[in-house]
Amino acid sequence: MSAPTLASTDLTNYLAVGLVIVMATGFAVANLVLTRLIGPRRTGDVKSMTYESGMNPVGTARKRFNVRFYEIAMVFLLFDVEIIFLYPWAMTFPNLSVGSEQATVWLGRIFFFLFTTIVAYLYGFRKGVFTFN
Amino acid sequence: MPRTFLDIFGNPLLALGAGIGGVMTVLSLNTLFCIWFERKVSAWIQRRMGPMEVGFHGTLQTVADMIKLLGKQLITPRGVDKPLYHLAPLMVFAPVVAAASLLPFSKTVVLTNINIGLVLIFMFGGFAVIGIFMAGWGSNNKYALLGAMRSIAQNISYEIPLILSALPIVLLISAKGPMYEIEGEMIAINGMNLAHITAVQADTGVWFVLLQPVAMLIFFIAILAETNRAPFDIPEAESELVAGFHTEYSGMRFGLFFFAEYSNMLIGSMLATVLFFGGWDGPILPGPVWFFLKAYLLIFAMMWIRWTFPRLRFDQLMTFCWGALIPLSIVNLLVTAFLIKVL
Repeated sequence: MSAPTLASTDLTNYLAVGLVIVMATGFAVANLVLTRLIGPRRTGDVKSMTYESGMNPVGTARKRFNVRFYEIAMVFLLFDVEIIFLYPWAMTFPNLSVGSEQATVWLGRIFFFLFTTIVAYLYGFRKGVFTFN
Repeated sequence: MPRTFLDIFGNPLLALGAGIGGVMTVLSLNTLFCIWFERKVSAWIQRRMGPMEVGFHGTLQTVADMIKLLGKQLITPRGVDKPLYHLAPLMVFAPVVAAASLLPFSKTVVLTNINIGLVLIFMFGGFAVIGIFMAGWGSNNKYALLGAMRSIAQNISYEIPLILSALPIVLLISAKGPMYEIEGEMIAINGMNLAHITAVQADTGVWFVLLQPVAMLIFFIAILAETNRAPFDIPEAESELVAGFHTEYSGMRFGLFFFAEYSNMLIGSMLATVLFFGGWDGPILPGPVWFFLKAYLLIFAMMWIRWTFPRLRFDQLMTFCWGALIPLSIVNLLVTAFLIKVL
């Protein structure tokens, strides 16, 4: 039934994307090699120093950082997983006949699914994940 | 109907070569043009002249800059995490090009026609976050690490409203039924296929910006944040963090980050064009012209915003995303789903 011009599940399309990645990497590496060939190669103790606004660096950057970044990342995971499930739902839900019992059930299910996420979101909000100070 | 390069050139290798070459050329020219354009726009807004020396009105300024950048030394500082430090520019650069190859430039100019194109573009956008963290952590520099942490927090936060505001479009397309007739051809419509999204808009003549104005606004704001543009350019707030996560990158390595940044702008604008502004749809002029015209209008809007608004504070940025954009996009999605079922 589907026309051959839109046979988009064809695997050659994915192969094309893979080849684009290879080509892009090649382009980037070629640029770096070229600048290696053209550019100067001076080295020195001060030249290879870590940049810290011209001061001598104090310690390394391997330090502790704010735990809030972890909290943000965890809430992000919550939403990310939810979105992954929302896409298949968005593909199938509109195909159900309007006003049918099935459509109501599916809408109710996704409301419940979103509700669980919203509860977690509100919990995060109460705990102050989103308020930086 | 949308056809891939394969149908035009016949020979698969020839088609692939032409397509990949085309995408690389478009992105390179875009970077050269956008840097000049940005300088001109900022100059115009601030009543200056901008670059005037090299070429007509400074049009060749970026080319000169690129050549200069090629002649610069690649400095690798002491104490870097070597594999991460060297891989990071490639990790940021390659997915951007791959994302650009997924977009339908016109009815006939489509390099890849993939059923999950929309999700794939968001996936390639997500790769940038890994690259940024590799750069920030691998540099072993305090500015770079701080910039990377902020950048990641911002990017992952704004990814949620970005993806959520594209969902109503998937709903609207899928609502056109399993089979849809475009120009006398019945096709199995797919809500995540970018070519189908544009084709439906072109066929019905109703751009989705009219049906989903809220989603469009959220999407545009999220794009601004994803591409680290002002007023969301906190990761590279130069007055406090030097250059953010790419502080320790010099010469062409920095050039690759820069290339990726401006390509991201173009891809964001092109995606917004596909989703909300009817892609190649438009009278008289051929498809690609309309497509790029719309995309560059959006890029101009992004530049206009950058040179008009002050930078947000980091806590304001996060609160705005989690407190306003995400709830709004969820409500928008549910209202759309409800209306589709009722109407």
